[in-house]
Amino acid sequence: MSMLKMASTKLNFFYGGFQALSDISLEFERNRVTALIGPSGCGKSTFLRCLNRMNDLIPGTRVEGTILLDGEDIYASEMDVVTLRRRVGMVFQKPNPFPKTVFENVAYGLRVNAVRDETFIAERVEKSLRRAALWEEVKERLHQSALGLSGGQQQRLCIARALAVEPEVLLMDEPASALDPIATQKIEELIQELKKNYTIIIVTHNMQQAARVSDVTAFFYMGTLIEVNTTETLFTRPKYRQTEDYVTGRFG
Amino acid sequence: MESRFLKELDRLRMIILEMAARTETALEKSAKAFFERDVELAEEVIRGDDAINRLEVDVDRLSLRLLALEQPMARDLRFIVGCMRIAVELERIADLAVNVARRGVFMSRRPPLPPNASLEQLATTALDMLRTVIDSFVRQNADEAREVCQMDDTADDLNVKVLKSLLDHMVKEAPAVERSVQTIIVSRCLERVADQTTNIAESVIFMVLGVNIKHHCE
Repeated sequence: MSMLKMASTKLNFFYGGFQALSDISLEFERNRVTALIGPSGCGKSTFLRCLNRMNDLIPGTRVEGTILLDGEDIYASEMDVVTLRRRVGMVFQKPNPFPKTVFENVAYGLRVNAVRDETFIAERVEKSLRRAALWEEVKERLHQSALGLSGGQQQRLCIARALAVEPEVLLMDEPASALDPIATQKIEELIQELKKNYTIIIVTHNMQQAARVSDVTAFFYMGTLIEVNTTETLFTRPKYRQTEDYVTGRFG
Repeated sequence: MESRFLKELDRLRMIILEMAARTETALEKSAKAFFERDVELAEEVIRGDDAINRLEVDVDRLSLRLLALEQPMARDLRFIVGCMRIAVELERIADLAVNVARRGVFMSRRPPLPPNASLEQLATTALDMLRTVIDSFVRQNADEAREVCQMDDTADDLNVKVLKSLLDHMVKEAPAVERSVQTIIVSRCLERVADQTTNIAESVIFMVLGVNIKHHCE
């Protein structure tokens, strides 16, 4: 099995006449955590959303170049977007549980994928909650509203919901930025655990977080990829001046 | 406007520079005191050591604070870690200068040994190395730092020469044994100064290039 899980080649992305990404070529290896960093507006979140075609939902956008998932072009006409998003799951900045029970939140993806076997669903819900390191905290209140959980628990619930459909790649857009330090630490530990089974790509504004959780870090600036390197190298001896200025806070 | 963090980094640099200047003076004076049998100068070196010790503590305190509160990255991180290492080496060099000064006080009360050109050369070499490495730190110049590493072999050779000549002397002149041993200690101290200076050079290279050349590990 190839180590390469996903790869973008010469990816350009436009919002109408504005080019938000230029010639991004970046590879993601299996069971690795890759962090995307850069100042606001640098294109890192836009790039993340290209990886499961979330940008398709925004009118007036256009993509050039290719993104391969296990060698298949995700923008090819025969690619089913629903299947793609099942394989490439996403966790957002703010926890967004549905106004349903804890159980139904996690079961949601299975139900929309027409799974009817309740035993199977219950098993998958438990497995996902365990993987998201939430099971012990919610097992007694599975049938209560998810909105009663704390912010950190809600975010782990969203991760469990993403895991329930057994994705291969997990995209995380600032998953801990709305959480307190303890909840953040739990999410970071969880990321380390999850990488054993998934390929993880995380956007973060918190450089210390990128340094702590990722194996590889990519630095974006004004829609271009400036540098991609092992996280240790990027934060201790980056190759390019722009990266150095950004990570040392001398930007602009 | 310069950020508070950059000002703090500059303050760290200034403390290292003050420490380096004081250490260089201590080493120069200790050698002079030894060769010229100047007790007053030797005592000045011994008294001056406290100030250098205090500066080492200042470097530690400031570095630790910057690491904890600013979470520095890349060249800033390397600079702070490098400064911590350099402060340790400078403090040791200052201790060695005190050691040389103490031997100077001892020797001044006894009849002089014949002049030893290798020992004088060793003192000059150690001092040159220290000056060059301080310059390399000021200019953040890895090439200059590498020169210092290369000078260490000269210091080692001179130390061996001093040792041989004094062993010969002891064989011929039994009453000179105690003074010869004291002089061997001085030679050993100066050779250690050269070693510590090489360690500083390695830290400068680490700061500038981000590579660790200690023990040929990269």
